[in-house]
Amino acid sequence: MRRADMRVVIAEDAAMMRDGLVRLLTDHGHDVCAAVGDPDSLRAAVAEHRPDAAIVDIRMPPTHTDEGLRAALDIRRDQPGVGVLVFSQYIETRYAAQLLAGDASGVGYLLKDRVADIGEFLDALVRVASGGTALDPEVVGHLLRTSRDATGLATLTARERDVLALMAEGRSNAGIADALYITAGVVEKHSANIFAKLGLPPSDADNRRVLAVLRYLRS
Amino acid sequence: MFRPTRDNDGVTDTPREQIALARAGMAVRTTVAAPFTGRARRELTFCLIGVAFGLVVLAAPFVLIGLATAVTLLLPRPDHQPAVNVSFLVIIPLGLVAIVVLATTAGRAYGALQRRVAAQLLDTRIEPPPPRRSASGRERTIGALLGDGPGWRALGYGLVKIPLSVAEGYAVLCWVAGIVNISYPFWWRLFRNHPPSVRLSAVPMVTPLGLFHVETFGGTFAAFGAGVAMLLAAPWLARGVSRLDVAVMRPLLGPGKLAEQVRQLRDSRAQAVDDAAAMVRRLERDLHDGAQIRLATLAMTLGMASEKLGTDGAAPDVDEARELVAAAHRGAKDALADLRDLVRGIHPPVLDAGLPDALSTLAAGCPIPARLTTDLPIRPAPAIETIAYFCIAELLANATKHSQASHIAIDVTARSNKTLAITVDDDGIGGASVTAGGGLAGLTRRISTVDGDMRVTSPSGGPTTIAIDLPMSA
Repeated sequence: MRRADMRVVIAEDAAMMRDGLVRLLTDHGHDVCAAVGDPDSLRAAVAEHRPDAAIVDIRMPPTHTDEGLRAALDIRRDQPGVGVLVFSQYIETRYAAQLLAGDASGVGYLLKDRVADIGEFLDALVRVASGGTALDPEVVGHLLRTSRDATGLATLTARERDVLALMAEGRSNAGIADALYITAGVVEKHSANIFAKLGLPPSDADNRRVLAVLRYLRS
Repeated sequence: MFRPTRDNDGVTDTPREQIALARAGMAVRTTVAAPFTGRARRELTFCLIGVAFGLVVLAAPFVLIGLATAVTLLLPRPDHQPAVNVSFLVIIPLGLVAIVVLATTAGRAYGALQRRVAAQLLDTRIEPPPPRRSASGRERTIGALLGDGPGWRALGYGLVKIPLSVAEGYAVLCWVAGIVNISYPFWWRLFRNHPPSVRLSAVPMVTPLGLFHVETFGGTFAAFGAGVAMLLAAPWLARGVSRLDVAVMRPLLGPGKLAEQVRQLRDSRAQAVDDAAAMVRRLERDLHDGAQIRLATLAMTLGMASEKLGTDGAAPDVDEARELVAAAHRGAKDALADLRDLVRGIHPPVLDAGLPDALSTLAAGCPIPARLTTDLPIRPAPAIETIAYFCIAELLANATKHSQASHIAIDVTARSNKTLAITVDDDGIGGASVTAGGGLAGLTRRISTVDGDMRVTSPSGGPTTIAIDLPMSA
């Protein structure tokens, strides 16, 4: 799943973090087209470079509230080819819902803390850049806890719930297998069970699967 | 205003004498003109209405008793039961309950009318009391009616109005009798053209000093004189009585001390809540932009370093790993410093040891030499210590930034176990003022949340003295 030479735009107003991300990505052979600190420069850089992915901090000047999120939504609307990884120090499920509204392809929403696990972070970025989904375990956990259909979820085994959570994060079968130290075949079996138990239509494409799972959890 | 009273009459007055003469002349004119001014007329009207109000209050019990009697008499009377029993058993208790229940409503209406009269005629605005409210929030419950302080206060005013209206009547009498007395010489001859043998009774003359009798034409001139004196005195009497009335009105018909205090408390509570919310927001921002981002970056740097070190065996890139670890080390120290500053900003730990210790640390850290004197036999409440500490910290920061002072003196003294008196003096250029949105305005707000007080003396050119009084307990 590792992919080199992604073209990335970074929008992050904390210089320290921005420099760290630039170094991290360049170190791993990616091309950082632009690293900016405010939403307008982000929009301009994305329009100019048409990168594979944009990493966007939610809180940016001038008001430090949700400027980044609004820029991210604009980019998703205007430049569907650009994967958007929204990056934040805390998770708001409302923001997640806005980002995922209608379409879960090429979008991610992660806590900044996740950069500590470099491999996982790069995996998520690659997924987003190639049209997949990367949803923070916090968001997924919240959705699982607050899902209205608790009875449906209760029919799942503990292992199936783990698989469901990883699916909702946007991981592929191979990714889930890696994370749970099981084989891809076992993951496939689990996911078939999950879809049958929850009454979801089976789907092969990762991002459509994510959407089905999320829709199920949110309904 | 100044107008000379004498023209070139050969006497050269010094300006001071001229002014004194002018003043005397004006006083005479004011006195003579007083009865004919609009103000005098309005005050007279006020007194006249006052008399009417007094009469209404006096008459009210009789009217009520009369009404009750009438109702009793008009009620269908069962043959075997005399009317008196009905009235004692039913009407009087019912009437009493009705009066008690309606009393505060009537009082409020009476008060409102009085306030309007005062506003119209005396140009004196008295704020109405807050609307009636009971614990349950309903306005018309018996409890609300009976416990309605402003209503009862207005009734109290109604009672005080009785002696007041006597005085007001006296002023009106002065006016009327004054005019009547002045008229005596004019009609005397018309009505007293009797033959010498006929002896008529004397004509009474009403004065504030009592009743006199005028028997001769000469006597009418005495009446005239008395009338003029009364007419001149009447406006002042009316004014004095009106003022007295207003002085009684303010506490009895106004919002009341308690309501005023409640308003002040509500304001200061709103400020305290705003301050607390702003403080929490600032903390969140400081953490979000400071320690949190440092720690996230630190985690990322360590993640990269551990990548460079590999999972086992020889490290693939030791040099870069070393560099990353060194950067992470620096980042961790920065994060610690950030957190330490933040914690000190929330509550300086040294404050736990008392204000003197905390302030001496503060003074020692001030770039301008600061001398601290404290006299605190007892400790103020923790909240007061915190406010005092941050106020002084802010004042020192201000002085450092703006004053160009070379010395600062801080004095903190507990005065009479009730007040914490703080003064911060500097020998700088002065010009400090409390402007909206400025640092000093922020301090004023903070201080007012505990009913404290701040005075700024900072003439342009200096020196600056800022005195803050805080209560010892919040």
